[in-house]
Amino acid sequence: MNEIDSNNDSIVLREHVFDGIQEYDQKLPNWWLFTLYITIAWFVIAWVAYYQLPLNYPDDFEKLEAQISIIDQKKADELEKLMADLDNEAFANLSHDPTYTDPGKAIYEAKCAACHGLDLSSKLNGIQLPGVPLNDTEWKYGSQPLEIWKTVRDGSPDITKGMIPWKTQLTGAEIVQVVSYVLSKQPQ
Amino acid sequence: MPTTRKPNLESVTSINNDGSRNFIHPADTKGKFTLGRRVFGALLLAVYILLPWIPIGDYPAVFLDLAERRFHFFGLTFLSEDLWLGFFLLTGLGFSLFYVTALFGRLWCGWACPYTVFLEQVYRRIERLIDGDASERRKLDQAPWNGSKTAKRVVKHGIYLLISLILAHIFVSYFVSIPRLYQYMQHSPVENAKVFGVMAFLTGALYFCFSWFREQFCIIMCPYGRIQSALTDDDTVIIGYDEKRGEPRGKKSDPNAGDCINCSRCVQVCPTGIDIRNGLQLECIGCSACIDACNTIMEKTGRDRGLIRYDSFNGLNRLKKRIMRPRVVLYTGLLLLGVFALLASLRGLHSSKVEIIRMTGQPYYIDEGGIRNQFRVQFVTKQNEPTHFALNVTGLPEGARAVGMDEEVILQPGQEATKTLIIQVPTEIYSGEFNLTLEAAVTPGDYTLSSTVDFVGPSTYTLNKGNQSPTKTETPSPQP
Repeated sequence: MNEIDSNNDSIVLREHVFDGIQEYDQKLPNWWLFTLYITIAWFVIAWVAYYQLPLNYPDDFEKLEAQISIIDQKKADELEKLMADLDNEAFANLSHDPTYTDPGKAIYEAKCAACHGLDLSSKLNGIQLPGVPLNDTEWKYGSQPLEIWKTVRDGSPDITKGMIPWKTQLTGAEIVQVVSYVLSKQPQ
Repeated sequence: MPTTRKPNLESVTSINNDGSRNFIHPADTKGKFTLGRRVFGALLLAVYILLPWIPIGDYPAVFLDLAERRFHFFGLTFLSEDLWLGFFLLTGLGFSLFYVTALFGRLWCGWACPYTVFLEQVYRRIERLIDGDASERRKLDQAPWNGSKTAKRVVKHGIYLLISLILAHIFVSYFVSIPRLYQYMQHSPVENAKVFGVMAFLTGALYFCFSWFREQFCIIMCPYGRIQSALTDDDTVIIGYDEKRGEPRGKKSDPNAGDCINCSRCVQVCPTGIDIRNGLQLECIGCSACIDACNTIMEKTGRDRGLIRYDSFNGLNRLKKRIMRPRVVLYTGLLLLGVFALLASLRGLHSSKVEIIRMTGQPYYIDEGGIRNQFRVQFVTKQNEPTHFALNVTGLPEGARAVGMDEEVILQPGQEATKTLIIQVPTEIYSGEFNLTLEAAVTPGDYTLSSTVDFVGPSTYTLNKGNQSPTKTETPSPQP
């Protein structure tokens, strides 16, 4: 073990004295200085890249808009795909398909039964519920399956009636399921 | 010739006067504190490595599922909405650290800090294994590059990188779980670029810190190291040199000399390169290596152990020792307050949630059935078994009806559901807006959740007028 108290270790003081107080004049660690140099270099790069070059970087708002438009596009594509093989005939078939009517029943009981009744009669223990009965042949806004689908999706054309647009809570496919279930309960 | 800078109070030993780095090679120590730290460090490492592997319930013991925003701790599940509890967790940890620091100084740094545990119990052990003891390591640093040195360096840094990779993967597994991490590892990094990026950054950071940066972090960057001097006082237990007993330093044979024989073992073993005999210093991480080193020498010279020991400044100076001081009382109070607040908030926290939200559209509807409000009711469970909600709507005036909450709601683990709730108040009994409450008796757990909303409707005055108009004749005269 060699302890060397060489000149290399002597304490460096600045010449300036005030009130008998002197300052150390020691070097910063080189790695510390290096972090400063990195920030300076980074500043130059960022300044050139963001403020000098005519590159239009999207700001956060534009990025958000882009993401939202991707989601909207995806939804529109799904809807288009759904509607491509969906017509009134197809609905008639779906209403006999338990893979549609079973999940449709679950959705109906959670969301729709409160107004239209568990048995679609719009009655609970004989008392009238807010919704119109769905088990009769009378349809207020069109009796075609696609028209029913549209009423569920976009709500009642008469906003004072309380049938809300369900598209915010249900996907297009889920609306198909619940409409299939309602159709399966029709007197034929 | 390998040299060591002589430690002083004015500058940092690990930095040369020209700003370059002076690598510290602490000598080996043997003793009860070294052994204790090694055992404790191994325990902490085992906890760190094993937690993501131990399943409790359906999830690992600790699994912060960022993708699903569900946080699993030892069988308890928290959702992102419970994040406010983190306030108590962080302040609790902060106050605990204050408390421990006031009583025992930098105990955390030397014994429990992951940085120290990784450095002392993993990386430095590997270096010791490959490069030899302190003087051999110093010699190797100075030696010209040759085959043997190159081989040693390649092996050492190779193992460093491997260990850094393992530690980084374990860290990542706390957030993605072991099975998913294993699945990611079998695919191209591009597919999970974010997770891979975090892992790569961590590997780089760990490798940099423990192969090169080392004690620089503790003595220059660590914020806890910065504030600790404000948390301690003369009664705090620190690692200190008994000046009264040790000075003046001199040879063992010198009858006028104190107990310190000036062997400088305490300096040689210090991982931050200080001389503890200069008193408590900012760089000291409280690792207790100098205690073991000095005790070994004291035993060899036939003197009492404890020339360097855990003691307070007052104790070292033969002054009156105190345990209860104002700051200890204050920190204890703050700690208890924090614990109490945490317990109180945990008591109010349930493993499921019920919330009523008004539906979009008009705030209320009027038709033959009366005045109607439409709500969505959201059910969430954090339990890992099927959860039953038995529902009951209270606060309704006599004659009003709630529809949609008749059936019990059953949720499977991790499931959420939304149901429709319709409140109908016949116009003749409607006498203004009111509050209604949905109560849900939850099993398992046997507790009751409730959510309250306003029932809104027209003012009874305008409703009166409307009813008197000729177009609305269907309702009988309402109550005043």
